[in-house]
Amino acid sequence: MTLNAVVEASTHLKEADMARHVIDATKEVFSTMIMMDLEDSFPLQESVNTFHCSISGMVGMAGTYTGILAIHCPQSLALKITSNMLGMEVDEVGEDVNDALGEIANMLGGYVKMVLSKGGMDINLSIPTVISGEEYTINAMSESDCVVVPFTHEQERFLVSLKLRKE
Amino acid sequence: MANVLIVDDSSTMRKIISRSLRQAGLAVDDIFEAGDGIEGLSVLGEKNIDLILSDINMPNMDGLEFIKQVRGNGNSVPIVMITTEGGEDIIKEALASGASASIKKPFTPDQLNEKLGGLI
Repeated sequence: MTLNAVVEASTHLKEADMARHVIDATKEVFSTMIMMDLEDSFPLQESVNTFHCSISGMVGMAGTYTGILAIHCPQSLALKITSNMLGMEVDEVGEDVNDALGEIANMLGGYVKMVLSKGGMDINLSIPTVISGEEYTINAMSESDCVVVPFTHEQERFLVSLKLRKE
Repeated sequence: MANVLIVDDSSTMRKIISRSLRQAGLAVDDIFEAGDGIEGLSVLGEKNIDLILSDINMPNMDGLEFIKQVRGNGNSVPIVMITTEGGEDIIKEALASGASASIKKPFTPDQLNEKLGGLI
């Protein structure tokens, strides 16, 4: 599982560089808007498609590059994230949690778009999509054209994945 | 004291912006919310608004069209774009359409204060 070779050639970014952008974006969003410090780990060598008691926020990119930026988070951690974002206790998965994960995906997508786009008009971001449930599987595009970075906050882990192709 | 309208399709982001406005220590009175540009125009028709903070990427009517409609109605209220769409071209288009400034998400209350202090 690596960054798409055509994307590497076009952006002049290696997989490690793209992973660094994902890490920087995620840490900036979490420290600024969520007041959470994160530990990042090495990007995964295999993709993760099936999630248990989790929630996934995703934003699509279309244009010069197409792809999906997603955050996959256990529901227990999603509640903490949403509580921190809103400054109030949130104890059940609902509209607030869905909105929070969608907005995080949107901010991360915006950061990646700025990395990939020259002026901002050649890549469009979709409205965020959120999926949650006791068990679900997400399949999108090729499994290989992907960077997946694990993050940890107080022993709880979540993933940020970026699937990219050059059109 | 200023009345502020927040236009964003994310209710979470509207709450965060609202909280940040209070934390920034700005002279804010009432804060009104709208989920897209169409709702924003409706609020503008009913309330006295001194400042608009608007997202760009929204369903039904996006932020760029919203600015054009507001200016097309002859309303000169300051409009600040709060967006993840940080590309230069989009910001230029927003400013050319009548936006007063832009703020990129994520942001801190201090950054809000810095951008908005001169507008209200």
